[in-house]
Amino acid sequence: MEGNNKSGSEPQLDEHTKLQHQFKLFQESLPKVSIVAYQLLLNELVPLSVSIENNIQDMTSSIEVSDEDTSTETETETECELSEQLERMKIEEAALQPSHKLIQELYEANDSKRDHIYERLSQIGFQIGSKLTELLIYNNNPNLHFESMDLLAVMKFICRDVWKQLFGKQIDNLKTNHRGTFYLFDYDYQPIQDFSLDGEISEKELQMVEPYLEIPCGIIKGILASLGFKGDDQVDVTVSFVDIPKDRVVSPNQFSKGINFNVQVTRTE
Amino acid sequence: MAIYSFWIFDRHCNCIFDREWTLKADSSSGTTNSKQNEDTAKLIYGMIYSLQSISRRISSSTNSVKTISTGKYRIHLLPTTTGIWFVLFSDLKQQDLSQVLQYLYGEIYVRYVARNMLSPVDFAESTNETRGQGFRKINNRNFIRAVDRFLGPMVSQL
Repeated sequence: MEGNNKSGSEPQLDEHTKLQHQFKLFQESLPKVSIVAYQLLLNELVPLSVSIENNIQDMTSSIEVSDEDTSTETETETECELSEQLERMKIEEAALQPSHKLIQELYEANDSKRDHIYERLSQIGFQIGSKLTELLIYNNNPNLHFESMDLLAVMKFICRDVWKQLFGKQIDNLKTNHRGTFYLFDYDYQPIQDFSLDGEISEKELQMVEPYLEIPCGIIKGILASLGFKGDDQVDVTVSFVDIPKDRVVSPNQFSKGINFNVQVTRTE
Repeated sequence: MAIYSFWIFDRHCNCIFDREWTLKADSSSGTTNSKQNEDTAKLIYGMIYSLQSISRRISSSTNSVKTISTGKYRIHLLPTTTGIWFVLFSDLKQQDLSQVLQYLYGEIYVRYVARNMLSPVDFAESTNETRGQGFRKINNRNFIRAVDRFLGPMVSQL
């Protein structure tokens, strides 16, 4: 009898809160990694892209030079040359550059090189984003109902779940005109919080931080693509610095600018 | 005046940060990364280095000096495994400031230097800047502010 009473009281629990509770238990059972290690790796993507770009440029220039040499020789000889070239193409143990030097280099780089590097960062973000969606859906979060997802719901998903998963917090503000334009404001974007250069805040510092914003841009694009907003739909994500609103409480040493992602989704019907 | 100055030395025997307070009443007084302190820094490094080596010789090799007291002041030391020395000068009333040094290392240095991608971690950029010949300092804004905010209240402490 007592057992019956107990089981009788249980259904009174809201179905939703029960799911939430289960989800919480599930999340607690998940393996954990250090947030610092993860963030350092994420931040290391920028110097990595710069050094890859440098390596590629070195390689192509050396191949071009040897191409000129071999142009007059016969075909059998060029075959040998090819294998030699492949030998040469092995990435040699180059002098290791510290990360801050590579970032400085990116700041001084010319436009085409910078575009290449930004493109690469955006690609990396895109790949992360398109895979992350699978992970978050697999996680079986009761807050998500993917069957009835329109564009606004997808953007909310990015603001809440994706940002929470990647940066441990949600987007601070989401604005939309309900016609495919969204503004996502993050006033303390986690990966860049501890960045600062010598002296007062300057244009240079903002420009050096800028590449770090390409990755989340790519992530947003990747998530939109994996949820069906690609192809005919034109997705455009741009990013800019904004001032932190005055009524917001800021911690003393945080990065002095907020981030604004401008997402444009235009449907060509 | 409870604390007088704060110094950081890296593993290349260079002084990479110094902060000296001159007025007890004003915690923002004094110098930061001053050129004039270069010679003082070398003397301090020499003293610590010698005492450290003495202590290692008369005991095990893992032994290290924690505080050095003279008739006028006391020096608190925190050596790290990566070869950085955090050095804090205080008056004789301060018995043990190791917690303070731990905080300066873990919460301020690690956060604003090691985790700051725009800042170097190794302050000697070429081999001729090692062996005490370096001149680079931690000049980054967040770090200096954080040090001042944390140590400032202790300057006028009784």
